[in-house]
Amino acid sequence: MSAVLILTPLIVGGGWTAISAAAAGAAVALGLTVRSAAKEEIAEAEQEEKVAARNSVEVEVKNSEVLENVRTEQQIVLQGKEGVEVRVKRDARGRCVVCASGMGKTKAELRAFAERFTERMTQCFVYNRVMTELKAKGFQVMSEERAKDETVNIRVRQWEG
Amino acid sequence: MPQRDVEISISKSGEVKVHIKGYKGKACTKLGAFLAEVVGKVKSQQLTSEYYEPEEKAAIRVEQKQGK
Repeated sequence: MSAVLILTPLIVGGGWTAISAAAAGAAVALGLTVRSAAKEEIAEAEQEEKVAARNSVEVEVKNSEVLENVRTEQQIVLQGKEGVEVRVKRDARGRCVVCASGMGKTKAELRAFAERFTERMTQCFVYNRVMTELKAKGFQVMSEERAKDETVNIRVRQWEG
Repeated sequence: MPQRDVEISISKSGEVKVHIKGYKGKACTKLGAFLAEVVGKVKSQQLTSEYYEPEEKAAIRVEQKQGK
């Protein structure tokens, strides 16, 4: 053994592309489908939400910082099976936020779903970053598995030559 | 050829545990700092006995005897 480190993730760098990739990964894991990222459809969805008086909650992604050049109307809209809709966007302070809404869902249910999505999105973001950087450094993946507690365990190797 | 392994565990909340094996001294510190920069910030760090072992160095000694 040489060293053991515990690292806290920061959701910065990579801009909207990296966040979109992480959101797409979380969506696949939680059974959501990408509805649209187009501005017109987002406005339409917001209008529908107001008319139908759907419950809605917003969860901030911890330690996140979206690049300033990302517009606030730039969003990722995901549709769940049970009428839950998830939107990933940049708030006015430049933080990344996850908004969950849905008819017939309590705020507590929506908050739980938004928090679960946020966790999975953070995990995907970290996974993408770590794997990209280690592969660029010449590491090879020896094994990879997802444990029952949803932890992703990866073993990489580098030969010194 | 020496091999160096890194075990990485990414929890469901995104916290990362990195276990660096086979690196000694500065090489270990350098990789740790690199991974910390990639992920975010260091919450805790524990160095093990191998860390303090001297780094491997390869040297070739060439001698030439001069004839009279």
